[in-house]
Amino acid sequence: MNQLDELRDIIVGDSSEQLAELKERIENVEQRTSDVAEVLSPAIDKEVRSGNPTLAIALQKPVSLGLKRAIRSEPEEYAEILYPVMAPSIRRAIAQAISSMMVTINRTIESATTVQGLSLRYQSLRSGIPYGELALRKSLLYRVEHVYLIHRDTGMAIESVHGDDKNLLDTDAIGAMFSAIQSFVQESFSQDDSGRLTDLKVGDQNVWVAHGPKAMLACVIRGEAPVSLKRELYDTLDAVRTGFGNAIVDFDGDCSAFDGVDELLQPLLLSELKDNLTANSKGSSSKNQSWGPLILGFFCLAMALYFAFQFFINSSKVSTVEHFLRETPGVATTALYWSDGKLVVEGLQDPDAVIPYETLKSYDIHQEDLEFNMIPFRSLELDMELQRFRTELSLPRGVYLSVRNNKIELYGKSPLRWLLENDVRIRQLAADRRLSIAELSPSLVSVSDILISSFPRDILRTLSMSEVVRDERTVLEIGGQMDAVNLALLQAMFAGNRWVMVTASAR
Amino acid sequence: MKKKKICMVGDFSVGKTSLTQKFVNNVFSDKYLTTVGVKIDTVEVMDTKLVVWDVAGRDSLSPINASYLVGAAGVILVADGTRKSTVEGLHEIWDTVAGRIGEVPCVVALNKADLDDWNVDEGKINDFKNRGWSVFESSAKDGIAVEALFNALVEKL
Repeated sequence: MNQLDELRDIIVGDSSEQLAELKERIENVEQRTSDVAEVLSPAIDKEVRSGNPTLAIALQKPVSLGLKRAIRSEPEEYAEILYPVMAPSIRRAIAQAISSMMVTINRTIESATTVQGLSLRYQSLRSGIPYGELALRKSLLYRVEHVYLIHRDTGMAIESVHGDDKNLLDTDAIGAMFSAIQSFVQESFSQDDSGRLTDLKVGDQNVWVAHGPKAMLACVIRGEAPVSLKRELYDTLDAVRTGFGNAIVDFDGDCSAFDGVDELLQPLLLSELKDNLTANSKGSSSKNQSWGPLILGFFCLAMALYFAFQFFINSSKVSTVEHFLRETPGVATTALYWSDGKLVVEGLQDPDAVIPYETLKSYDIHQEDLEFNMIPFRSLELDMELQRFRTELSLPRGVYLSVRNNKIELYGKSPLRWLLENDVRIRQLAADRRLSIAELSPSLVSVSDILISSFPRDILRTLSMSEVVRDERTVLEIGGQMDAVNLALLQAMFAGNRWVMVTASAR
Repeated sequence: MKKKKICMVGDFSVGKTSLTQKFVNNVFSDKYLTTVGVKIDTVEVMDTKLVVWDVAGRDSLSPINASYLVGAAGVILVADGTRKSTVEGLHEIWDTVAGRIGEVPCVVALNKADLDDWNVDEGKINDFKNRGWSVFESSAKDGIAVEALFNALVEKL
């Protein structure tokens, strides 16, 4: 030990060991951590108790970052922790929203089915103002729609709050114009500077103004507000002066110094419903009173729906009958209308036309529902003609009627007897161009039968039969050679017959 | 955004209203000029919102309503460059302004520069400039110098 060490020992004595111990504690990280942990909790507690915000400010960011990180990494765990806190609030909020919605629906139905509601709808249509807005105006005793905090000297709007932000004009221009009107009225009507404009009335709107030395508070009210609102106006203006007095005095157009002033103005956006309407939305007894108009409204609605339904059914029946009668050959309708519960059809009807009752029945339109006031006429529609010819001519086998190229044709191989029986009528129809008979001819069998019954077989062998076209008609030609006596007999048999022509000659 | 009240003042029919009509947001009808004696418009110039008080013009029967000047951060003095009396009258109008609200920033608009019968002495213009006022030969009809006029005032505010 040298002299210096000895001197140190004399001066500091055992302290050297303590210093070494301290050095060890400072350099040893684990030891230092334990030391800090020991004092951290009481230190924080002491700082919080002292009310000094420094610690809170210092911890704000790391705590916030730590929370965010923790929630991101373990969202389910945090959701589980928060669930008992959040769930009841969420449930309450949803229940409140549903309840509020039910009240709104109830009121809407109520107002839509009453005379007043219908009247409001009419007014809304006429004026273009939304129905909800009109209904609210009618149901309100008063409503503060706008509040302006105006700087007195410059007339500039420091802040404004609005209950309804539709159709808002420039608030600075409004504030300035209001200030200008204030000056105008003051100079025009007041004897000294003390007179101030405190009330304005425009239609059903009122403007109330509370005046302070450097600022004024103007609120636009729809309806009749209670006088107590004026006191609230002045209270609010006082609160503004208390909180923002210096900012108002130093106001140079910069509104940033007025952060939070809107929270003071917001409570002034008051409204109050008329007594009866307030009761309607709250009292159970008055709910019963609303059943009357509600039931009446539903009854009217039901009646209107019933008549609308009946009108629809009747209209569709008229359309259905009109459609099917238009499709029916031989019927031409001129008017269809309902009379004494019956559908009356007026028009023209061919006696052979068949009304499609069966088809109409499938549409729930019965024969007894219909009344026909028809004038008979002869229809020349092809379908009608076809039907008529079929009935009139009683077609034999092998003869047919059909429409070809928009014309009715009678064609086929007919027994000669049938041809002769209907010859006059057929010729008449053909002459009238109502029927084409170019392909109608007597059948070979029917003519052969006549010949067989009249002539011996050896004579028949000398004859031949063939179809030839004469004057746009098909006729049966009998040719060959035979003796003069039989030839005369043959010619006599078919004399005047337009369907069989004898060209046989004497041997 | 800062907000500033400015006033347009000048003699009757020098074109104050026309000068601003196409530049500002017309909020109210012109009828207020004849009824209340002032018309309010707003316009945003650079980073400032100007609330423009278009004060009804002075004539032989009625002076400028000085109460409308209170709180103005600046004024635009407007004269008709074809009517010498309106230019000379600006000094008197300025005295009214300064008497009521002090020597606030000011710019001068010598309006109707599009007309041929221009009648402004250079000496008068220099006189205005010596007072520290910016002077603009403007035309409400052609829109000449209107925007520059407002910009110059905003820079002074």
